[in-house]
Amino acid sequence: MKKLSSILFALALTGCATQNITKKDFTAFQTAAPRSILIVPAVNHSLDVDAPNYVLSALPIPLAEKGYYVFPVNTTKVVLEQEGLYEGDLVQQQNPQALAKLFGADAILYVTINRWDAQYAVIATTVTVDFDYRMVSKDGVEIFKENKKLQYSPQNNGAGSPLAKLITAAINAAVARSKPNYMPLTRMANNDVFVTGKNPIPDGPYKLNETN
Amino acid sequence: MKKYIIFAMALALSACATKKQDMYQWGSYDGLLYEAYKDPSKVEDLRVKLEAQIAATESAKQKVAPGLYAELGTIYLQIGAKEKALAYYKLERSTWPESQTLMTSMIANIERRPTKEEVKQ
Repeated sequence: MKKLSSILFALALTGCATQNITKKDFTAFQTAAPRSILIVPAVNHSLDVDAPNYVLSALPIPLAEKGYYVFPVNTTKVVLEQEGLYEGDLVQQQNPQALAKLFGADAILYVTINRWDAQYAVIATTVTVDFDYRMVSKDGVEIFKENKKLQYSPQNNGAGSPLAKLITAAINAAVARSKPNYMPLTRMANNDVFVTGKNPIPDGPYKLNETN
Repeated sequence: MKKYIIFAMALALSACATKKQDMYQWGSYDGLLYEAYKDPSKVEDLRVKLEAQIAATESAKQKVAPGLYAELGTIYLQIGAKEKALAYYKLERSTWPESQTLMTSMIANIERRPTKEEVKQ
């Protein structure tokens, strides 16, 4: 019992510790200094046709809380569909400058879903999400790039951050059912990349105003 | 001892609390949107709860989160409630200057469309 609580204490202490990491170069990002971000439907390389919609729903909050104006994702999706752009692939083939101009956006966020699957086994089921994130300025310059892969397996908690381990309880029940819930992992991936991770994007104008 | 563990757990969970997202009131926008994508019959639930969340934020004299007015406007547009859609798009535009280009073209689009009455004639 004592051991458990000391482990948890240690966990709490290291929870947010910054390790020796190489800082990303944000020069291009800072030059572009975007105020607004347009999130377009994701490219889907998984077998789940619904994955892009689910990913889309989990993106606005972390980015807006980071201080940016985030274009309404569902409204954006509807507008693009009216232009005949139903699939993320088609959207990503569009000229970013033209797309940014159409919406009046300073930057566009492209997400590719590499993995979104559950591997069933007798002892443990492993749920995996793997996303590529790419942000391009309205001038067509790449200003941010990141990959995030998160895996969850109830029997094997070796991988992932301490926070990930604690969140597993929430996923646990879902995994037991036939259709796993990918959302906790998806939210965590987005949060890691944009807010809490090693190299999050710089704070946006609304965040800066708040702290001033 | 049990108390200790619970305390430690709470501490572990809140270790990142300083970075907690709390600039805006989102209600359960992300969860509701997810549900609506999963099951289109839940769009109505999204509309009702989004509207309630916006009203609560307004009465608390806080700024409504980016995009929420517009999302509600789009739901109204899709069920044919043009006036409501217009009103929410205008609110998005006046609250968030970054949305001006998009909202202005959404508004112009609606205003170009004939009303149901005009179609009948």
